[in-house]
Amino acid sequence: MTTQKDCAQAEMLAGAIALGEANEVQRNSYRAHLAACPRCCAELGGEHEIERVMALPADASKAEHWAPDLRHVHRQARPQRALQWAAVLGAIAMLIFGVRATQKHVPVTAVPRPPVVASSSQAERAVAALNTQTAPQREHQAESLVFAGTSTMRLDVSVDGRGLPKRCTIIKSSGDRALDQAVCRAALKAKH
Amino acid sequence: MEALIAADPAEIARARAESLVLEYQVKLARYLRRMVGDAEVALDLSQEVFLSAFRMLQADPKREITAGWLYRAATNAAISFLRRKKILRMLPLDREVDRPSSLRTWSVDERSATSVDLQTALEQLPAAQSAALLLTSYVGYSSAEAAEILGTTADAVRQRVCRAMRVLRTVMSEER
Repeated sequence: MTTQKDCAQAEMLAGAIALGEANEVQRNSYRAHLAACPRCCAELGGEHEIERVMALPADASKAEHWAPDLRHVHRQARPQRALQWAAVLGAIAMLIFGVRATQKHVPVTAVPRPPVVASSSQAERAVAALNTQTAPQREHQAESLVFAGTSTMRLDVSVDGRGLPKRCTIIKSSGDRALDQAVCRAALKAKH
Repeated sequence: MEALIAADPAEIARARAESLVLEYQVKLARYLRRMVGDAEVALDLSQEVFLSAFRMLQADPKREITAGWLYRAATNAAISFLRRKKILRMLPLDREVDRPSSLRTWSVDERSATSVDLQTALEQLPAAQSAALLLTSYVGYSSAEAAEILGTTADAVRQRVCRAMRVLRTVMSEER
């Protein structure tokens, strides 16, 4: 005659046997319960059966060869902080130089033209759109924070007649959204 | 040692987070893939885990983050994901959709008999039992260590393993 409590105890013993944590006393106790409880005997099985079944997850673990593709992370692993800053400053310098170069053909005596992007609401919308850009498929935010590396990006900055930037569009992302936004913010603050 | 003392706390946090990622990312992603059955989801969840670890280290660079902490965070993330997935399945609009089994996303060479049997059983188990089975027999923790990760007792872990084993046994007998 076995009680429900005995069966619950047998489950724990079976678990201990499955994990290789049962001592001889516990094994004997389990055997005695199985002999008295046909239901547990059918559902849980003997010690050999338990070991056979539990070999499956262990075998699957040993045979596991799937691994996440981390090449993109290792490619930019261990960056130098100075290089990161150099990349950001270089991008900003190129941006400023590029804007100045495009403005050189405008004659100084020419009648001031209306701003390219005169409406502040338009500029606000552009900045808002920038902030809500769709991120790359997977940002790998943890890795990019940990392994933040150097990268290049291309921006398109619209400047009004007074030389004030009104809009920044990312043409080619650096792959890091935070970096893109930081560079864009810097470009929008600069005076050209 | 002097260099370490003089180092910026943010640098220490970054270096420690880096070593955590390098040491545990593959192990954690494998565990999570078994838990949720999908490699992409597993990668996303492991991202969340490492990100929260990194933020904790940023807040307190001296804080000890153990493998157990990472597995606990991963288990919680997986259980939350599975709960959300279950709710989505209960929505009427989703009723007619033939939701593919997670195994369909696995490559052909990964579908060995042991792998398929294990994953089929895991899909039928409650998340708590899957976690107990995986942490002990797949990752290799003892029942006491798994109990600490899962916030329960060693006896409860053994019982969950036993119940999971019962399902696994049924799956194995059906396959043959």
